[in-house]
Amino acid sequence: MSAAEGPDAHVRARSGGPLSLGAGVAAPAGMLRLTWPDATGQAVPVWPDGVTPSLLDEYQVAGVPVERAGETRRVLAAVLKCCWTDLTMDPWPGDPAPVELVLDTYRALIGRTDDLMRNWAIGALRRLHDSAWIVVDDGVVALGPRCALWPVESHAQLQELVRRLPEPERPDLTVVRDADIVAAARPAEAAPSPEAGVRVEGGAAEFDDLLGGYDERRRAELVAAFMVVEHAAEPVQEVRFAALRDPALRHTLGEMLARRGRVLIQHRDHWTSGYDDTLIAADVSTRLGVRERAVLTLVLVHSVAIPRAEGLLPEDSWLSPHPTPADELRRHTQLPIGELEAALRTLRHAGLLSQVKAGEEAGGYVPGPQFHRLTPAARRRLQEELILAAGPSTPLAAAVRARRSAQ
Amino acid sequence: MRVSEQPLTLDAVLTDEAVLSTYRRMFAALARDSGAVVDDPALVDIAETLFAAFAEAGEEWLTHEQMRFVCRAYPSDQFDNRLRVLKGLGAIREVFPKPNQLRYRASFTSVVGLMFIRRMMDDGGQSEMHRLLALEDLNVADPRTTMEEARQSAVNLARAFRLWALELITLTTGTIEELREQAPKLWGTEEIARRAQGLHGTILTRWPELDRVCTDLRAAIYAYSDASRRAAGRLADSAGTTRNLTLLPTETWRTFSQTASKERLAAVLDGVLFDAPAPWHDPAAIARAVDEAPRPAPAQPTPPRSHLPDPGPSGSLDSSPGAAMERLRSVAESLLGDSSRVALADVLGPDWPSARRLLADLTTVDLRPELPFRLTWSDELTVDPGREPAWLSHGWLERTS
Repeated sequence: MSAAEGPDAHVRARSGGPLSLGAGVAAPAGMLRLTWPDATGQAVPVWPDGVTPSLLDEYQVAGVPVERAGETRRVLAAVLKCCWTDLTMDPWPGDPAPVELVLDTYRALIGRTDDLMRNWAIGALRRLHDSAWIVVDDGVVALGPRCALWPVESHAQLQELVRRLPEPERPDLTVVRDADIVAAARPAEAAPSPEAGVRVEGGAAEFDDLLGGYDERRRAELVAAFMVVEHAAEPVQEVRFAALRDPALRHTLGEMLARRGRVLIQHRDHWTSGYDDTLIAADVSTRLGVRERAVLTLVLVHSVAIPRAEGLLPEDSWLSPHPTPADELRRHTQLPIGELEAALRTLRHAGLLSQVKAGEEAGGYVPGPQFHRLTPAARRRLQEELILAAGPSTPLAAAVRARRSAQ
Repeated sequence: MRVSEQPLTLDAVLTDEAVLSTYRRMFAALARDSGAVVDDPALVDIAETLFAAFAEAGEEWLTHEQMRFVCRAYPSDQFDNRLRVLKGLGAIREVFPKPNQLRYRASFTSVVGLMFIRRMMDDGGQSEMHRLLALEDLNVADPRTTMEEARQSAVNLARAFRLWALELITLTTGTIEELREQAPKLWGTEEIARRAQGLHGTILTRWPELDRVCTDLRAAIYAYSDASRRAAGRLADSAGTTRNLTLLPTETWRTFSQTASKERLAAVLDGVLFDAPAPWHDPAAIARAVDEAPRPAPAQPTPPRSHLPDPGPSGSLDSSPGAAMERLRSVAESLLGDSSRVALADVLGPDWPSARRLLADLTTVDLRPELPFRLTWSDELTVDPGREPAWLSHGWLERTS
């Protein structure tokens, strides 16, 4: 992926995770450059005025739900314990460590040794890897680019945490030493020179020209509104944020979002943000694989299209209170069960599906909070695509095709 | 038509009469009297209830009383009217035609006709048109079919398509609510148009001399497809994004979800962009998660024990039942001596630990009703920082007997 400019780069980073940068290529504005020894690097978006999504807690707004949050964070703590060996340095990049060492550390942390715990920990490692918090490769774990986003002020807290985590009790009989495992997995870096310059370079300040004209309080309100529309799980109430209430501030907020390829989306008196439709280039595609998209389409058909055809779902929304039974997905579709389970896991993790539990067997899946973020145009397009796919020979599909060719 | 071309024979009259009676029977369920069609759906329900009862009765047939009984839910005047009409049109007939016949049977044609009418009411004739086209297709391919029959079928189809198109056009220019209700029942899918064109092709290839009729049919099919598209277009535009999905029936959605391949399903979301998973793990949240980790219950260490046998001071304690009481009595007696009343300030020792023990004993003495002593307290309080106890509330130990 080549380094794209401005909003386009942010769209790619939000939909596809951290960007890779070629040697010597600077990070786009508003992104941190994580530089490797060979001068290539990765870029991760940062937030204005040094805030992080933890800001949402201060406003008591729920962020994107983390699947199995406690477990995932404990495993991340175990990874940190193993990889952050020199506490005088920043946590990222740290040193790679074998997966088994991380699992032993996690085991010592929670005091359980059964297979179930191991499976859970491996699931958490996979989720952390998918969200770029860690990088798991060939039995070796390293801290991922998102770890570079922890603000410097919080490093002391992390150091304290790492110090008090228990050391794993490891039998002395280990056949291969940890260092050898790491060295074997990374032959290219067998002789790393510490001065080669793995470093974090701050991106260019992004919003200063927009925010500079405002006093401290307004500036803080704008940044808060920016963070909540971008990171809250659900649309937020207009009355709670001055920058959403006041049309002038809202205009500036819109400009801030535009630099990230985003637009404000209004649901009555609630606001959230979504991708700017005009910026979605043909080659930017979502990271979802074929099976994930197929399962998501099935849930949309069962939870939205069918209830709407039956008149049970009046609103123009892709969210739905009608769960798609897991059994329906398992038995009455062309998807193999193994692929189905893996796809459901990925979709849940990405907030594209929510699991609804009801009783022993009932319950199922509904479209997740990400569907709040579809613009009206995207909602319409999704609907047309569904009609074209489900009833390609109906007059309705013909009308859709006719309108598209007219445009 | 056949009548005009053939000489008017008795056979022809009988054939026509047979056709007419079939028609009459078919619509008997809908007729209010012999000349008009019902205007109350309940009347059709009566007919249906009757036919169901006849089917169940089998060769027992039904008497007038039995018929009245199965229709007991309906008013008797309605029932009588129905029965009169159904009998008059031959949908219900005597088992054996003779005066004062008691048992009746139902006509098969009327039952089939009723099924057909119900289906027409449900989907407005779309599936009927599919069936009809399929049948006609078979018919015109049949070597026994004559040109006249083919011509007749082409003319009929052209008329049906024209009427259909006209109705759609009327709807398209009417209110949007009516269009929403009616149009999906009326508009044809591409498949209907394709079938009709196939049929048209077959007729034209086999009987090129029918080309004028076929031109008519072709024009009717095009007009119909066009009207369908226009109705759908107007609905799609006006309904906005909210209700478009309602325009495909539930069954279409189900079929799609059950039969579509993985790739076809995935293609729907090709142009939609979603966020990559990016949950935020705050350092404080990580620390909290570690603190909240479910911990195994720690094994509790037993207190250290001496290795030597140590019976302890257990022998020195008099554990006989009256011993405690006796000890308290001797404490009180030793303080009182001969007097019946003694100030506490005088008997308390100078150090707090022993004074504390003594006060505890005296309180116990006071609380034991069987011991003849009590404590009385005054409100007086003396404070002397140099003494111990520095705060002293005054009281007396008294003998009560």
